[in-house]
Amino acid sequence: MDIAALLTSLQASGLATRIRDSLFLFPLIESTHVFGLAMVFGTIAIIDLRLLGVASSQRSFQRMASDILKWTWAAFALTAVTGALMFITNPVVYYHNFYFRTKMVLLVLAGLNMGVFELTAGRTVHRWENAPSAPSVGKVVAVLSIVIWISVIFMGRMIGFTTTRAATVTPKTNGVDFDDFLGAPSNGGAPTTPPHQK
Amino acid sequence: MNHFAEWLSTTFLSVFIQNHNAWVIPTIQSIHIVGIGVVLGSVLMMSLRILGWAGMDQTLRQTANRFGPWLTGALLLMLVTGILMVIGEPVRELITISFWVKMFLVAVATVIAAMFQSRLRKHEQEWEETLVHRKSIQWVTILTFLIWACIIVLGRLIAYDHVWGSWSPATKA
Repeated sequence: MDIAALLTSLQASGLATRIRDSLFLFPLIESTHVFGLAMVFGTIAIIDLRLLGVASSQRSFQRMASDILKWTWAAFALTAVTGALMFITNPVVYYHNFYFRTKMVLLVLAGLNMGVFELTAGRTVHRWENAPSAPSVGKVVAVLSIVIWISVIFMGRMIGFTTTRAATVTPKTNGVDFDDFLGAPSNGGAPTTPPHQK
Repeated sequence: MNHFAEWLSTTFLSVFIQNHNAWVIPTIQSIHIVGIGVVLGSVLMMSLRILGWAGMDQTLRQTANRFGPWLTGALLLMLVTGILMVIGEPVRELITISFWVKMFLVAVATVIAAMFQSRLRKHEQEWEETLVHRKSIQWVTILTFLIWACIIVLGRLIAYDHVWGSWSPATKA
Protein backbone atom coordinates (compact mmCIF):
# COMPACT_ATOMS: atom_id res chain seq x y z
CA MET A 1 0.00 0.00 0.00
CA ASP A 2 1.47 3.34 -0.97
CA ILE A 3 1.56 6.29 1.37
CA ALA A 4 -1.22 8.28 -0.35
CA ALA A 5 -3.62 5.34 -0.12
CA LEU A 6 -2.66 4.77 3.50
CA LEU A 7 -3.33 8.42 4.38
CA THR A 8 -6.66 8.34 2.59
CA SER A 9 -7.76 5.19 4.37
CA LEU A 10 -6.69 6.62 7.74
CA GLN A 11 -8.73 9.71 6.97
CA ALA A 12 -11.76 7.61 6.05
CA SER A 13 -11.50 5.36 9.11
CA GLY A 14 -14.35 5.22 11.60
CA LEU A 15 -12.21 6.59 14.42
CA ALA A 16 -11.09 9.61 12.36
CA THR A 17 -14.67 10.30 11.31
CA ARG A 18 -15.86 10.03 14.90
CA ILE A 19 -13.29 12.60 16.06
CA ARG A 20 -13.99 14.95 13.12
CA ASP A 21 -17.72 14.82 13.68
CA SER A 22 -17.51 15.62 17.38
CA LEU A 23 -17.42 19.17 18.73
CA PHE A 24 -15.56 18.03 21.83
CA LEU A 25 -13.18 15.23 20.92
CA PHE A 26 -10.55 17.13 18.94
CA PRO A 27 -10.25 19.98 21.48
CA LEU A 28 -10.00 17.49 24.36
CA ILE A 29 -7.44 15.36 22.54
CA GLU A 30 -5.37 18.44 21.72
CA SER A 31 -5.58 19.67 25.34
CA THR A 32 -4.40 16.28 26.58
CA HIS A 33 -1.57 16.44 24.05
CA VAL A 34 -0.44 19.78 25.52
CA PHE A 35 -0.62 18.37 29.07
CA GLY A 36 1.51 15.41 28.00
CA LEU A 37 4.10 17.47 26.20
CA ALA A 38 4.37 19.91 29.11
CA MET A 39 5.20 16.91 31.30
CA VAL A 40 7.66 15.52 28.72
CA PHE A 41 9.46 18.85 28.45
CA GLY A 42 9.33 19.63 32.18
CA THR A 43 10.79 16.29 33.24
CA ILE A 44 13.43 16.16 30.47
CA ALA A 45 14.53 19.69 31.37
CA ILE A 46 15.13 18.57 34.98
CA ILE A 47 17.44 15.78 33.73
CA ASP A 48 19.20 18.10 31.24
CA LEU A 49 19.83 20.76 33.88
CA ARG A 50 21.28 18.04 36.13
CA LEU A 51 23.65 16.95 33.32
CA LEU A 52 24.72 20.57 32.87
CA GLY A 53 25.26 21.04 36.61
CA VAL A 54 22.80 23.97 36.62
CA ALA A 55 20.38 22.41 39.14
CA SER A 56 20.15 19.34 41.42
CA SER A 57 23.93 19.06 41.03
CA GLN A 58 24.35 17.45 44.45
CA ARG A 59 22.03 14.52 43.64
CA SER A 60 22.96 11.17 42.15
CA PHE A 61 22.23 11.23 38.42
CA GLN A 62 21.19 7.57 38.38
CA ARG A 63 18.78 8.12 41.21
CA MET A 64 17.17 11.09 39.45
CA ALA A 65 16.96 9.25 36.15
CA SER A 66 15.18 6.29 37.75
CA ASP A 67 12.83 8.62 39.67
CA ILE A 68 11.91 10.82 36.74
CA LEU A 69 12.28 9.13 33.34
CA LYS A 70 9.37 6.72 33.85
CA TRP A 71 7.11 9.78 34.08
CA THR A 72 8.70 11.19 30.93
CA TRP A 73 7.98 7.97 29.04
CA ALA A 74 4.42 7.75 30.33
CA ALA A 75 3.82 11.35 29.25
CA PHE A 76 5.51 10.69 25.89
CA ALA A 77 3.18 7.73 25.30
CA LEU A 78 0.22 10.03 26.03
CA THR A 79 1.44 12.66 23.53
CA ALA A 80 2.14 9.96 20.91
CA VAL A 81 -1.37 8.51 21.21
CA THR A 82 -3.12 11.90 21.23
CA GLY A 83 -0.85 13.12 18.44
CA ALA A 84 -1.71 10.08 16.31
CA LEU A 85 -5.42 10.66 16.95
CA MET A 86 -5.12 14.27 15.78
CA PHE A 87 -3.09 13.16 12.77
CA ILE A 88 -5.67 10.70 11.46
CA THR A 89 -8.42 13.35 11.41
CA ASN A 90 -6.63 15.11 8.56
CA PRO A 91 -3.60 12.99 7.58
CA VAL A 92 -3.11 14.24 4.03
CA VAL A 93 -2.85 17.86 5.15
CA TYR A 94 -0.58 17.09 8.11
CA TYR A 95 1.62 14.82 6.03
CA HIS A 96 2.31 17.61 3.56
CA ASN A 97 2.69 20.33 6.19
CA PHE A 98 6.24 21.69 6.46
CA TYR A 99 6.09 22.16 10.24
CA PHE A 100 4.66 18.69 10.82
CA ARG A 101 7.51 17.15 8.83
CA THR A 102 10.09 19.27 10.62
CA LYS A 103 8.60 18.27 13.96
CA MET A 104 8.85 14.56 13.07
CA VAL A 105 12.48 15.01 12.00
CA LEU A 106 13.21 16.79 15.28
CA LEU A 107 11.61 13.92 17.25
CA VAL A 108 13.92 11.48 15.43
CA LEU A 109 16.87 13.77 16.26
CA ALA A 110 15.80 13.80 19.91
CA GLY A 111 15.87 10.00 19.84
CA LEU A 112 19.29 9.90 18.18
CA ASN A 113 20.57 12.44 20.71
CA MET A 114 19.40 10.12 23.49
CA GLY A 115 21.13 7.22 21.71
CA VAL A 116 24.39 9.18 21.59
CA PHE A 117 24.09 9.78 25.32
CA GLU A 118 23.56 6.08 26.04
CA LEU A 119 26.59 5.12 23.95
CA THR A 120 28.93 7.74 25.46
CA ALA A 121 28.37 9.37 28.86
CA GLY A 122 25.70 6.78 29.71
CA ARG A 123 28.32 4.00 29.61
CA THR A 124 30.54 5.69 32.18
CA VAL A 125 27.72 6.95 34.39
CA HIS A 126 29.04 5.11 37.46
CA ARG A 127 32.17 7.30 37.26
CA TRP A 128 30.43 10.67 37.24
CA GLU A 129 26.93 10.12 38.61
CA ASN A 130 27.81 11.89 41.86
CA ALA A 131 29.86 14.65 40.18
CA PRO A 132 28.18 18.07 39.94
CA SER A 133 27.87 17.74 36.16
CA ALA A 134 28.24 15.23 33.32
CA PRO A 135 31.33 14.91 31.07
CA SER A 136 31.43 17.31 28.09
CA VAL A 137 29.60 14.97 25.73
CA GLY A 138 26.77 14.71 28.27
CA LYS A 139 26.56 18.50 28.46
CA VAL A 140 26.40 18.81 24.67
CA VAL A 141 23.61 16.21 24.61
CA ALA A 142 21.76 18.16 27.34
CA VAL A 143 21.96 21.47 25.45
CA LEU A 144 20.87 19.80 22.21
CA SER A 145 18.01 18.12 24.05
CA ILE A 146 16.68 21.42 25.41
CA VAL A 147 17.03 23.13 22.01
CA ILE A 148 15.38 20.22 20.15
CA TRP A 149 12.43 19.96 22.53
CA ILE A 150 11.75 23.71 22.51
CA SER A 151 11.85 23.52 18.69
CA VAL A 152 9.43 20.57 18.77
CA ILE A 153 7.02 22.71 20.82
CA PHE A 154 7.36 25.62 18.37
CA MET A 155 6.84 23.38 15.31
CA GLY A 156 3.81 21.80 16.98
CA ARG A 157 2.28 25.22 17.53
CA MET A 158 3.06 26.24 13.94
CA ILE A 159 1.19 23.17 12.64
CA GLY A 160 -1.92 24.59 14.27
CA PHE A 161 -1.40 27.95 12.58
CA THR A 162 -0.75 26.54 9.11
CA THR A 163 -3.45 23.89 8.79
CA THR A 164 -7.17 24.18 8.97
CA ARG A 165 -9.02 21.38 10.59
CA ALA A 166 -11.03 18.54 9.08
CA ALA A 167 -12.00 17.56 5.60
CA THR A 168 -12.79 20.87 3.96
CA VAL A 169 -9.17 21.59 3.04
CA THR A 170 -7.06 20.41 0.15
CA PRO A 171 -3.49 19.23 0.67
CA LYS A 172 -0.83 21.90 0.60
CA THR A 173 2.49 21.11 -0.92
CA ASN A 174 4.25 24.39 -0.25
CA GLY A 175 3.89 24.40 3.53
CA VAL A 176 3.06 27.91 4.65
CA ASP A 177 -0.10 29.58 3.41
CA PHE A 178 -0.20 33.13 4.68
CA ASP A 179 -3.94 33.41 4.17
CA ASP A 180 -4.27 30.62 6.72
CA PHE A 181 -2.01 32.51 9.09
CA LEU A 182 -4.26 35.52 8.99
CA GLY A 183 -7.59 33.83 8.55
CA ALA A 184 -7.45 30.88 10.92
CA PRO A 185 -4.72 31.38 13.50
CA SER A 186 -5.97 28.75 15.87
CA ASN A 187 -5.99 25.05 15.19
CA GLY A 188 -9.38 25.23 13.66
CA GLY A 189 -12.37 25.38 15.94
CA ALA A 190 -15.82 24.11 15.21
CA PRO A 191 -16.74 24.07 11.57
CA THR A 192 -19.73 26.28 12.38
CA THR A 193 -18.12 28.81 14.75
CA PRO A 194 -14.80 30.34 13.76
CA PRO A 195 -12.55 30.48 16.85
CA HIS A 196 -11.47 34.03 16.12
CA GLN A 197 -13.88 36.85 15.75
CA LYS A 198 -11.95 39.93 14.79
CA MET B 1 -15.49 43.46 29.33
CA ASN B 2 -16.43 43.57 25.66
CA HIS B 3 -15.68 47.31 25.57
CA PHE B 4 -12.39 46.82 27.38
CA ALA B 5 -11.43 44.02 24.98
CA GLU B 6 -12.28 46.15 21.98
CA TRP B 7 -10.36 49.12 23.34
CA LEU B 8 -7.36 46.89 24.11
CA SER B 9 -7.38 45.61 20.54
CA THR B 10 -6.83 49.16 19.26
CA THR B 11 -3.70 49.84 21.35
CA PHE B 12 -0.29 50.05 19.68
CA LEU B 13 1.12 46.81 21.11
CA SER B 14 -2.03 44.92 20.20
CA VAL B 15 -2.00 46.23 16.64
CA PHE B 16 1.69 45.29 16.34
CA ILE B 17 1.02 41.73 17.49
CA GLN B 18 -2.02 41.43 15.20
CA ASN B 19 -0.03 42.69 12.21
CA HIS B 20 2.82 40.26 12.84
CA ASN B 21 0.75 37.35 14.03
CA ALA B 22 2.29 34.95 11.50
CA TRP B 23 5.23 34.48 13.86
CA VAL B 24 4.66 36.62 16.98
CA ILE B 25 1.67 34.71 18.36
CA PRO B 26 3.05 31.18 17.78
CA THR B 27 6.36 32.30 19.33
CA ILE B 28 4.68 33.78 22.41
CA GLN B 29 2.49 30.67 22.73
CA SER B 30 5.53 28.40 22.45
CA ILE B 31 7.33 30.31 25.23
CA HIS B 32 4.15 30.05 27.28
CA ILE B 33 4.12 26.25 26.74
CA VAL B 34 7.81 25.98 27.69
CA GLY B 35 6.85 27.88 30.86
CA ILE B 36 4.00 25.50 31.72
CA GLY B 37 6.41 22.61 31.12
CA VAL B 38 8.73 23.98 33.80
CA VAL B 39 5.76 24.64 36.10
CA LEU B 40 4.33 21.15 35.62
CA GLY B 41 7.74 19.48 36.01
CA SER B 42 8.36 21.38 39.25
CA VAL B 43 4.88 20.69 40.64
CA LEU B 44 5.21 17.01 39.67
CA MET B 45 8.53 16.65 41.50
CA MET B 46 7.21 18.37 44.63
CA SER B 47 4.07 16.24 44.52
CA LEU B 48 5.96 12.97 44.04
CA ARG B 49 8.25 13.87 46.96
CA ILE B 50 5.29 14.56 49.26
CA LEU B 51 3.63 11.31 48.15
CA GLY B 52 6.90 9.43 48.68
CA TRP B 53 7.06 8.23 45.07
CA ALA B 54 10.25 10.04 44.00
CA GLY B 55 13.11 12.14 45.32
CA MET B 56 13.24 10.28 48.64
CA ASP B 57 17.01 10.91 48.84
CA GLN B 58 16.07 14.57 49.39
CA THR B 59 14.30 16.29 52.27
CA LEU B 60 11.13 18.31 51.62
CA ARG B 61 13.19 21.44 52.26
CA GLN B 62 15.81 20.44 49.65
CA THR B 63 13.09 19.59 47.14
CA ALA B 64 11.28 22.88 47.74
CA ASN B 65 14.58 24.80 47.44
CA ARG B 66 15.33 23.05 44.17
CA PHE B 67 11.95 23.54 42.47
CA GLY B 68 10.37 26.56 44.23
CA PRO B 69 12.44 29.23 42.45
CA TRP B 70 11.93 27.55 39.04
CA LEU B 71 8.19 27.41 39.69
CA THR B 72 8.13 31.12 40.58
CA GLY B 73 10.32 32.06 37.62
CA ALA B 74 8.24 30.04 35.16
CA LEU B 75 5.01 31.51 36.53
CA LEU B 76 6.39 35.03 35.98
CA LEU B 77 7.39 34.07 32.43
CA MET B 78 3.87 32.79 31.86
CA LEU B 79 2.36 35.95 33.33
CA VAL B 80 4.36 38.10 30.87
CA THR B 81 3.65 35.91 27.82
CA GLY B 82 0.04 35.48 28.96
CA ILE B 83 -0.46 39.26 29.17
CA LEU B 84 1.09 39.63 25.69
CA MET B 85 -1.38 37.07 24.31
CA VAL B 86 -4.32 38.90 25.89
CA ILE B 87 -3.05 42.20 24.43
CA GLY B 88 -2.54 40.53 21.05
CA GLU B 89 -5.96 38.86 20.90
CA PRO B 90 -8.10 40.50 23.61
CA VAL B 91 -11.44 39.60 22.10
CA ARG B 92 -10.46 35.97 21.73
CA GLU B 93 -9.13 35.67 25.29
CA LEU B 94 -11.33 37.86 27.46
CA ILE B 95 -14.68 36.77 26.04
CA THR B 96 -14.21 33.06 26.78
CA ILE B 97 -15.34 31.03 29.78
CA SER B 98 -12.21 28.84 29.49
CA PHE B 99 -9.99 31.88 30.09
CA TRP B 100 -11.79 33.03 33.25
CA VAL B 101 -12.10 29.57 34.80
CA LYS B 102 -8.41 29.08 34.02
CA MET B 103 -7.50 32.39 35.72
CA PHE B 104 -9.49 31.35 38.80
CA LEU B 105 -7.68 27.99 38.96
CA VAL B 106 -4.28 29.68 38.43
CA ALA B 107 -5.05 31.89 41.43
CA VAL B 108 -6.06 28.87 43.55
CA ALA B 109 -3.00 26.82 42.54
CA THR B 110 -0.61 29.74 43.10
CA VAL B 111 -2.05 30.40 46.57
CA ILE B 112 -1.66 26.69 47.45
CA ALA B 113 1.99 26.73 46.27
CA ALA B 114 2.74 29.92 48.23
CA MET B 115 1.03 28.59 51.36
CA PHE B 116 2.99 25.36 51.14
CA GLN B 117 6.30 27.23 50.84
CA SER B 118 5.58 29.53 53.78
CA ARG B 119 4.23 26.78 56.05
CA LEU B 120 7.19 24.54 55.26
CA ARG B 121 9.51 27.41 56.18
CA LYS B 122 7.74 27.99 59.51
CA HIS B 123 7.18 24.39 60.61
CA GLU B 124 9.95 22.59 58.80
CA GLN B 125 10.49 19.72 61.22
CA GLU B 126 6.78 19.00 61.61
CA TRP B 127 6.40 18.87 57.82
CA GLU B 128 9.36 16.57 57.29
CA GLU B 129 8.36 14.16 60.04
CA THR B 130 4.59 14.03 60.34
CA LEU B 131 2.62 16.33 58.02
CA VAL B 132 4.13 14.82 54.87
CA HIS B 133 2.59 11.45 55.81
CA ARG B 134 -0.85 12.84 56.60
CA LYS B 135 -3.61 11.57 54.30
CA SER B 136 -5.27 14.97 53.93
CA ILE B 137 -1.98 16.56 52.82
CA GLN B 138 -1.48 13.80 50.26
CA TRP B 139 -4.97 14.27 48.86
CA VAL B 140 -4.43 18.04 48.59
CA THR B 141 -1.20 17.27 46.73
CA ILE B 142 -2.98 15.09 44.18
CA LEU B 143 -5.78 17.64 43.87
CA THR B 144 -3.27 20.43 43.28
CA PHE B 145 -1.58 18.46 40.51
CA LEU B 146 -4.99 17.88 38.90
CA ILE B 147 -5.72 21.61 39.14
CA TRP B 148 -2.53 22.30 37.15
CA ALA B 149 -3.62 19.68 34.60
CA CYS B 150 -7.01 21.44 34.28
CA ILE B 151 -5.22 24.78 33.85
CA ILE B 152 -3.35 23.37 30.84
CA VAL B 153 -6.50 21.87 29.34
CA LEU B 154 -8.46 25.11 29.82
CA GLY B 155 -5.59 27.09 28.34
CA ARG B 156 -5.89 25.11 25.12
CA LEU B 157 -9.70 25.23 25.23
CA ILE B 158 -9.58 29.05 24.98
CA ALA B 159 -9.23 28.38 21.25
CA TYR B 160 -12.27 26.08 21.36
CA ASP B 161 -14.64 27.88 23.69
CA HIS B 162 -17.63 26.50 21.76
CA VAL B 163 -17.20 23.24 23.71
CA TRP B 164 -18.97 25.04 26.57
CA GLY B 165 -22.04 25.56 24.42
CA SER B 166 -24.43 28.17 25.76
CA TRP B 167 -22.23 28.73 28.83
CA SER B 168 -19.67 30.42 26.65
CA PRO B 169 -20.11 34.16 26.13
CA ALA B 170 -18.10 33.75 22.92
CA THR B 171 -20.90 31.83 21.23
CA LYS B 172 -23.35 34.64 22.03
CA ALA B 173 -21.09 37.45 20.83
